[in-house]
Amino acid sequence: MTMTASPNPADSRRSRLLGKVGQKDQSLHQQQIDQLRSRADFTPELDYFLQVMENPWPAAVSERTGRPLAAILCLQAPLELFQAFGWQPFKIYSGSYVTGRLAANDLPAIMCPMLRSALGAMQLQSGFLSSFRAWVLPTTCDWVVKFTEMMKISAGLAIEETSLHRLELPHLKDQDDSRERWLEEIYKLKKFLEKMTGRVLKPGKLREALETYQRAYAVLSRLTELRRQGAVPAVWFTSIANSFFYDTAENWTAAVARALPAFEGRPRPGAGGRVFLAGSPIFFPNFKLLELMEEAGLTVVADDLCSSERLFPGAVNISDHSEFGLLSALAERYHQGCLCPTFADNDRRVNNIINPAKREYFEGVVFQVLKGCHPYDLESFSLAGPLQAEGLKFLRLETDYTAEDSQNLLTRLEAYRHHLEA
Amino acid sequence: MTVRQLRLLVQHLSFIILTYGGRLGLNLGQALPCFSCPFVGPGCAGSCYLIGLQGRIGFGMVLEDLTSAWVWHPIGQFLLFLFLLALLGKAWCGWICPFGLVQDWLTMLRQKLAIREMVITPAWKKGLAPIKYVLLGYLILVPPLVTAGILHDDFFRPFCNICPGRSIMPLFALNPSYLAINNNNDVFLGLSLTLLAVTGGLPVGMFFKERFFCVFCPMLALIHVLKPMTILGLVKEPKACVGCGNCRRACPMDVTEVHLEKVKPDVQTPECIDCASCVEACASDGALTLKFWKYKLFTSSRRYVAGLAAKPGRRLVP
Repeated sequence: MTMTASPNPADSRRSRLLGKVGQKDQSLHQQQIDQLRSRADFTPELDYFLQVMENPWPAAVSERTGRPLAAILCLQAPLELFQAFGWQPFKIYSGSYVTGRLAANDLPAIMCPMLRSALGAMQLQSGFLSSFRAWVLPTTCDWVVKFTEMMKISAGLAIEETSLHRLELPHLKDQDDSRERWLEEIYKLKKFLEKMTGRVLKPGKLREALETYQRAYAVLSRLTELRRQGAVPAVWFTSIANSFFYDTAENWTAAVARALPAFEGRPRPGAGGRVFLAGSPIFFPNFKLLELMEEAGLTVVADDLCSSERLFPGAVNISDHSEFGLLSALAERYHQGCLCPTFADNDRRVNNIINPAKREYFEGVVFQVLKGCHPYDLESFSLAGPLQAEGLKFLRLETDYTAEDSQNLLTRLEAYRHHLEA
Repeated sequence: MTVRQLRLLVQHLSFIILTYGGRLGLNLGQALPCFSCPFVGPGCAGSCYLIGLQGRIGFGMVLEDLTSAWVWHPIGQFLLFLFLLALLGKAWCGWICPFGLVQDWLTMLRQKLAIREMVITPAWKKGLAPIKYVLLGYLILVPPLVTAGILHDDFFRPFCNICPGRSIMPLFALNPSYLAINNNNDVFLGLSLTLLAVTGGLPVGMFFKERFFCVFCPMLALIHVLKPMTILGLVKEPKACVGCGNCRRACPMDVTEVHLEKVKPDVQTPECIDCASCVEACASDGALTLKFWKYKLFTSSRRYVAGLAAKPGRRLVP
């Protein structure tokens, strides 16, 4: 990781803090990588994902992919569209609790830890803003909406208006006018990318991009199938999913395809302790909850995290090969196919949990709420009732990126495990 | 093999059999619930039931002489029609209808040329939907009027005279004669000019909109009216649906109800043609099923959508 001088060289205190946080973050990062490498279930095929996560910084990703980077904060921006222009979508790194310290003073005390982490991480990188040709920020949750303001206040970083594009997300899914408005947004994004790249979108390129992502969806689906059988530990599934944004979709797909046989041959754990993990996303290196669940004897066989199984929608259904047809299909998949809690008419999101539960993949749901992640916090209450009505044992855990509550969480998870077995 | 490939195979086989099978002496009767047009000539291996329905629905004829075979034949054909319908429901439209395949060819051509599909908005769809019932009423109500002598004999088989199947399907037997303008009298002139206009305009619609003619097809309306008799149909498990809308996008008939339904399992709408495209596109395990009586013929799954059940990664993006 590259250390930089403080934005204000006169402020030596700030400079010291940057150095200290950078060092600690690097150490935390490496510690997590080493821990994963030393696991008994580590195989050489998994090393690719650790190598990618060892260096998820813009300069490294740019060099690895050979493509210009477009920064995104949220999966609502259709990834295939970037691919069609030959750009690499880069999800702003947001899993380290250490970097959050750099963003601590000028922000609300209780705020989304992912964005707090991201605001800190971007201060550690020299020329962070200039690493990206474009920024595409959808208006999903309030934190994402206010992100650029927080960047100015907390990190002193201002994105040039010309390279910033906001996607205004309609928060209703089942209405025709919402679908039309979202399609308009996708067209605006297309025009923005055409302007930024100096190229015109070709339907053939977009189809190629969709095919590439369909192949990625196929390997992710196979990995998910193995996960349902308990053959893929949550830390590995998350590592694989997290690494997606830091290399090309083609390389990632090939790496997952190589790793699949390693999981296929693995002994399956017993049926006890199988759970669905719902709630706020989990990003490397914040694997605290996953490791504690494992320690408590719980096996995550399914999730609906936008950092894991909902990594990208895939399954874009094409019935019209024109530009309009392809963009419409893409837009609908990213809008109606999305289960993000920021949608107002999201009542069918619960079916994503009930349906696999009926297939007896698991008997309980652990719902993680990161403090400050308001949409998931709210949804944890609205989901609990319908899930319990289906006979699922529901555990709501509120936590953050720090390790202080680990023992407390472990105790609750162990008790929950006994509850599942009862 | 994917379901789409299987469907295309069945469609092509049925096209060949129904259009040319008669040349080998094949006769599947006069009660087929699809546009198998006898105007194709001697090659037609079975006749669209609508032609029989129009020709023999004259109540005067039925009551004329109950001992005549002319009376019982239509009743037998009607029972045969009901049997065929009960067996395959709207699969006749989605899987067997030769005119349906002609429409699908035009769609494939449009897709190949990457030309944008015409969008029929829900409001337009709602406005167009009754037309097929109007045509059904027309073909059922006019013949008795002819039999009763209220209308002239020239209105015999009123729908066939304006049906695009009559003008287009014979072209596959190299017979363009039904494109001719019939100037024998004003009725024939009016009907033949209407048919010519339909024949000229409809392929344009069929090229720009998948299954465009099915929106107006009276056979689809008739099959739907008799829906309670059919044992093949589309069902939904609402609690398995996450509302992604893939079914809606895949549907050649732009059916929205399958996507929006949150309570009822019966999602066999008037426009559905049982093509199973929605089932193929649905990534929610078990959300949609094409069912034959109590047997599940094909159920939606992420595995299928991901291409893991067939050739990996090749289905959705052909």
